[in-house]
Amino acid sequence: MNERVIPWQPTVIAGPKQALLVTPETAEMMIQKAKRPLLVVGPIINESPAQVFAAKIAEKWNISIVSTGDAFKSLTESGVHSYPFGLVEIVNLLKDPDWCGVNGEGQHDLVIFIGVIYYIGSQGLSTLKHFAPHLKTLTLCKFFHSNADASFPNLKDEEWLKYLEKLSKLD
Amino acid sequence: MEHKSKANELKDDFWKSKNLKVMAGEIIHEDPEDLPEPTGPTSKPAVTDLREWDMKLLERYEPFYAPFCDMCCLCTYGKCDLTGGKKGACGIDIEAQQARIVLLACCIGSAAHSGHARHLLEFLIEQKGEDFSIDLGTNIDIEAPIMRVVMGKKPRTLGDLKEALDYLEEQMVHLLSACHTGQEGKSIDFESKALHAGLMDNLGKEIGDLAQIAALNLPKGEDAPLVELGLGTINQEKPVILCIGHNVAPGAGIIDYLEDEQLEDDVEVCGICCAALDITRYSPGAKVVGPISKQLKFVRSGVADVVVVDEQCVRTDILEEARKNQAAVIATTDKICLGLPNLTDEDADKIVKKLVNDEIEGALILDPGKVGEVATKVARKISKNREALKKLPDLLEIQEMAKECTECGWCVRVCPNSQPMMDAVSGAAEGDFSKFIELYENDVCYTCGRCEQECEVDLPLISMLTKVGERFVKDEIFNVRAGRGPVQDVEIRRVGAPIVLGDIPGVIAFVGCTNYPEGGEDVAKMAEEFLERNYIVVTSGCGAMSIGEYRDEEGKTLYEKYSGDFDAKGLVNVGSCVSNAHIPGACIKIANIFAKKPLEGNFEEIADYILNRVGACGVAWGAYSQKAAAIATGVNRWGIPVVVGPHGTKYRRLFLGRIDQPEKWKINDLRAGKVVEGEPAPEHLLYAAENREEATVVIAKLCIRPNDTSKGRQIKLNHYLDLHKKYFGTLPDDVYKFVRNEKDIPITYKKEVVKLLEEVGWAPRAIPQEPSLMKFREDRKISDQGDSK
Repeated sequence: MNERVIPWQPTVIAGPKQALLVTPETAEMMIQKAKRPLLVVGPIINESPAQVFAAKIAEKWNISIVSTGDAFKSLTESGVHSYPFGLVEIVNLLKDPDWCGVNGEGQHDLVIFIGVIYYIGSQGLSTLKHFAPHLKTLTLCKFFHSNADASFPNLKDEEWLKYLEKLSKLD
Repeated sequence: MEHKSKANELKDDFWKSKNLKVMAGEIIHEDPEDLPEPTGPTSKPAVTDLREWDMKLLERYEPFYAPFCDMCCLCTYGKCDLTGGKKGACGIDIEAQQARIVLLACCIGSAAHSGHARHLLEFLIEQKGEDFSIDLGTNIDIEAPIMRVVMGKKPRTLGDLKEALDYLEEQMVHLLSACHTGQEGKSIDFESKALHAGLMDNLGKEIGDLAQIAALNLPKGEDAPLVELGLGTINQEKPVILCIGHNVAPGAGIIDYLEDEQLEDDVEVCGICCAALDITRYSPGAKVVGPISKQLKFVRSGVADVVVVDEQCVRTDILEEARKNQAAVIATTDKICLGLPNLTDEDADKIVKKLVNDEIEGALILDPGKVGEVATKVARKISKNREALKKLPDLLEIQEMAKECTECGWCVRVCPNSQPMMDAVSGAAEGDFSKFIELYENDVCYTCGRCEQECEVDLPLISMLTKVGERFVKDEIFNVRAGRGPVQDVEIRRVGAPIVLGDIPGVIAFVGCTNYPEGGEDVAKMAEEFLERNYIVVTSGCGAMSIGEYRDEEGKTLYEKYSGDFDAKGLVNVGSCVSNAHIPGACIKIANIFAKKPLEGNFEEIADYILNRVGACGVAWGAYSQKAAAIATGVNRWGIPVVVGPHGTKYRRLFLGRIDQPEKWKINDLRAGKVVEGEPAPEHLLYAAENREEATVVIAKLCIRPNDTSKGRQIKLNHYLDLHKKYFGTLPDDVYKFVRNEKDIPITYKKEVVKLLEEVGWAPRAIPQEPSLMKFREDRKISDQGDSK
């Protein structure tokens, strides 16, 4: 099996439903197709180039950002607006089809994750996989997340940043 | 045979009115204070008796499920795929399946504690007799708050504890049976049962700790001494006996034997996990190696000559690990027999001979006294001969081993925390051990050993790590305050009002394991943060040890810096896992001593009081075990919220509130007799935080209660806002939810908060005089009349 699409933590394999591998191009297609996408940015990319790319991706497609952990502070200091939530809080809201979304415009239809700590992120994705059929999940981390609908493969840092850079520049 | 009967149990009113006890001809006047209090509606509750309360909690704090597995594989119908709304062959859906696994975990955890309590109780009754009095001294009248509420009566003797255990075990059978295929089908009812299992866990722990406090004369709520903690405190020149687990009996047996033989100064007795804490409660001369994260490292170091294991949290490969450097292993309970011969009835010297001559790998000895004798004799005999074995590979060997690394990277992939073990090995191959040191320090690697299992060239990665860290061992000299057991009634009288009114901003309990990279330091820093802010900090188990491993800027441990009083700025170590019972116990006592709420059989009123008035919050940062699941679920039922670390989501279920749904927070003001607007206080009942920074802010918020006075609310909000500003850089957006009127606004932040309130169109609201989730008293009467019909 291609090691790039074995979950980064291999025992995360939960069952028959596995994420699809995406490239920057296919990720872009998912984002373009979405009407109300949301970007969830976690704390493990605080002050890193990946956070800069995440902000660029959000800006490019006018995607609202939710920050988890203490990522809010780091993003704010970089001049990036975000809504602070606990990871489990935002996932709890996302699984409710009637939730109004962070902008009050209705539930989101695509949730993009980056920088959330792997194991709690994986569990949150599992919640959405099972209880949020109304939305799709996409992860842009350097780890393959099998609980997402679509995920970047396992990537080395340099390759990952190239993926993010490419996605932030695609039209 | 002595015949005794309490006259007030007879039908005759004359005897009843005189309150006399007849005992083999003599008449004993009983103290009127010993009369049983009137019993409330739910003494010895059956599985469904508290279901109505559970549903109130679950309606507000809906279960949030994070499946760890998409399938069910519990019966031969399966495996069943439960994704996409599919049901299993038995009809179960993914929510109910998650809740079933949670119930199972709570049953396992609860059984571990109550099994432990049963062992202890039977042993102590054998030693002291059923009539041995439970007397915790003049400062503690409410010796068993959980038992009083749940059983509806006060235990007076060790024998009385058996009745509580019998009841508990019956409940556990029913709860476990509900996990069988074709039983419960709704997640919400699995959750109610899990809450019941949690309550049984709390009860079992109280029974266990009360029995050992009373019978072994452990500290009874008084200030306990500081005891030595850390790898560096162990004198390796002496024979070393290591106790791992949770049951004090074998450790106490060792200490008794050493004292009887006047060998205390000749043999080092130390422990890992709660056994360590409990043997230091028994004898402050024993030493605490540290929390569970030290287990594999310390065993691999070969320092221990004899490893005595009892129950819970012992590595299941302990025999194999101990035998790598020919330490002798003694198993001491029916929970962990390790395939060893049962030599309980054999002569001690014969067992010693077999162990010393390596005729057997270890022995199962179910008699704590004999364990003491055998462990001591074996340690003294083999210690000298094991000198050469107390060696790990030297650094040059490690460098050579490291060169074999293929850099496949799977050690990192399988690490629960993705720690950079491969980089550490690659560096070591070049003679650079700095990355190994980074993993060693602060237990960034807590040595679960999964990396070794995956290594394709079988590198002994944990041994390499242990060796590299060896140079720091001499500096690992800390202390921990020995577990003091319960909170005294007199302390509750002092702090009850300030806690309920909010002047003391909260009681925060750091319990359980700290299994997380730098998890011990995280816990210690959180404890320090709240101690500096005047909270009462309570701790137990591995969390208590981890707090002791941290030194502040002046080089002091927090135990040296803060008193052990249950008061603002007090750092209270209640003791081991079973001592956790004293934490909800203290909250229950507040309801009784301060608010005069009757305890006996009165669960719902007490829990309702705690939920709405006692600003307590539990934190289980590195929780990994089923016991932790049971502990948290148990205190949740009492109305105490809990914060777990990011791995806590693997328990599969949290209880989360919805701040955006105001109707969920409406509350009954019992005094005013009407439903009033409420607030999300506490916002969640079981919450997983992603990192320490988030957790710290959430903990402060979860101490807010509807009953806070304006002064108390100002204090609590001040800390919440302060911490939010510290870790997030701004004031929280949700502050308006917690401001009931302008008097609630902290003076320091008045201008900023007023601006925020104006932005959201805030309007003041009334503060409920008696906030409650319970029915109005009139409704209760009507309902009771209906029930009686």
